[in-house]
Amino acid sequence: MGMRYERRWETRREAGRSAAEQARESYYGVPVVHKPHWKWSIVLYFFLGGISGASYVIATLARLAGGPQLHSVTRAGRYLSFLTVIPAPLLLIYDLGRPERFHHMLRVLKLRSPMSLGAWGLVAFSLFSGLSALIQAGQDGLLGRWSQQRLRALPDRLIGLLGSGPAFFLSGYTGVLLAATAVPLWTKNFLLLGPLFLASSLSNATSALLLLLTLARQVSAEISDRLEGLERLALLVELALLLGLRANSGPVIRRPLDEGSTGAVFRGVLGAGVLAPLLLQTLARGHHGWGAQALRVLAAVLVLVGGFLVRCVLLFAGHRSADDPQATFELTRGR
Amino acid sequence: MVSASVSSGDPSVGTTGARPGALGFLTDTTLCIGCKACEVACKQWNQLPMDDFGFTGYSYDNTGDLGATTWRHVAFIERVSDREGRRPTRLKAFQSNWLMMSDVCKHCVYAGCLEACPTGAIVRTEFDTVVIQQDICNGCGYCVPACPFGVPALSLTDGKAHKCTLCYDRLKDGLEPACAKACPTDSIQFGPVEQLMERAKRRVADLRQQGVTEAYIYGDRAVGGTGGIEGLNAFFILTAPPEVYNLPARPELPQRKVLPAFLSTALAALGLGLAALFSLWRR
Repeated sequence: MGMRYERRWETRREAGRSAAEQARESYYGVPVVHKPHWKWSIVLYFFLGGISGASYVIATLARLAGGPQLHSVTRAGRYLSFLTVIPAPLLLIYDLGRPERFHHMLRVLKLRSPMSLGAWGLVAFSLFSGLSALIQAGQDGLLGRWSQQRLRALPDRLIGLLGSGPAFFLSGYTGVLLAATAVPLWTKNFLLLGPLFLASSLSNATSALLLLLTLARQVSAEISDRLEGLERLALLVELALLLGLRANSGPVIRRPLDEGSTGAVFRGVLGAGVLAPLLLQTLARGHHGWGAQALRVLAAVLVLVGGFLVRCVLLFAGHRSADDPQATFELTRGR
Repeated sequence: MVSASVSSGDPSVGTTGARPGALGFLTDTTLCIGCKACEVACKQWNQLPMDDFGFTGYSYDNTGDLGATTWRHVAFIERVSDREGRRPTRLKAFQSNWLMMSDVCKHCVYAGCLEACPTGAIVRTEFDTVVIQQDICNGCGYCVPACPFGVPALSLTDGKAHKCTLCYDRLKDGLEPACAKACPTDSIQFGPVEQLMERAKRRVADLRQQGVTEAYIYGDRAVGGTGGIEGLNAFFILTAPPEVYNLPARPELPQRKVLPAFLSTALAALGLGLAALFSLWRR
């Protein structure tokens, strides 16, 4: 193995500023806290895990209360939940410094460590997601007769209800995981991140289901009306939480949300990922022609892209706020 | 703010929640001459690979920061001018306007890295120090942002998290840590935290008597060991605000946020779940 040396300081100096200038405000601009190494694989995990949990909840609620018109929503939700939870552990293991030691996550259970809870929560939810997908496959006649009879005997509504706890957990705990760190942007917004991840997961899962059902030509006016009502609500909550997060951060800590590439993507998410889908939906409401259908598909795609990018922004803006000593001092002077 | 809390008779000044028999460091920055013997002794004893050669331009500090292969870091602060750009007209006692501090893992009484670790690799030892077990760590990296002082880091070489062990192997053999052994001025002192804290209080009183009115302890319950951390087993005597040394004045144990954050998330789950039920309800 070739030896690689740490050389971190060269990237830290802000362009056009001398060491003496930076020394006046902090220790030469050197970060007070270390940022995590998490990159795209964690963003993708946040995205897929969120969809998996939320689509499981939607499938369960559609089964419990949706009536026969929403059978296709239940079916699509169960399959989507299972398909999106499969890559989740692989992405997490890929991100580890020592992937071959992934099973060390299951040595202990620590209630004050969101990552420990998350590892166990992922295991628990995977079992529910897999079982519900299996039941659905049985109902759809994809399995052998013997196993289909066994699966039909299982209480699928009760299983769905029990699995909805871990499903909500998987969609939301990632916000708590970020909040329980010394990263200024995350810990400052500790009450908002979990709800934000939940609302975004719900809007993403709804969009993914609408998209899947549209592609499979199984979307009725009934289905699209009800799912869109849910999506509109989730998007409005997400919008409120994103604006609240920016306001709550204060002028110093929110700098990565306003400036540079993360700031541009943050504004893009607000505009194209939240406001634009809301507008497109309003235009399409009540219409079920070819044009309205196209608007719905476009809105769903925008919501999904926005859902991925909002997690990118939260992660990488967090990195930048960890690198900013003034953001840390803003937090640690005050309390 | 710091001097105010020291002079106001704050009862948390000079106290820590250190467990009985805890061992730690007192790093008295008024005695530091910036020789970096601690950095070298640490690297040698712990067989840490060198850092890349390079000039930072940060005074005599070419180490930069604590990291996976740097467990002692001597900071050099040239107080050429204050925030407003005013230059000092007279030199103060001890280190004049050139501050030096040997930074190290604080071995917190309640440690963020330890509580964050999902594998149980980070443990509290019989000496009340915090150590990362290298045969357990799987390099998840959660301890890295969970430290309010920016101490642990993932190694580029072996992918695992590393930080100061307070020379656990030497303590086992009744030896003092390598950095404290090497320090030529006794700026780094090793011993039971209880005794070190008494010594620090006497030293601060002495310094103030000699005209260094800014001297204070960093790492008690008043400054540095705040917000549920309950004190640092490796603490410091400083003569300028903590931020000057790149230290947070009032850090917080990040895990304090876990319960309230989960409660707000559960509340949101309840609200969104009911909203979803209402949206999907058979009409």
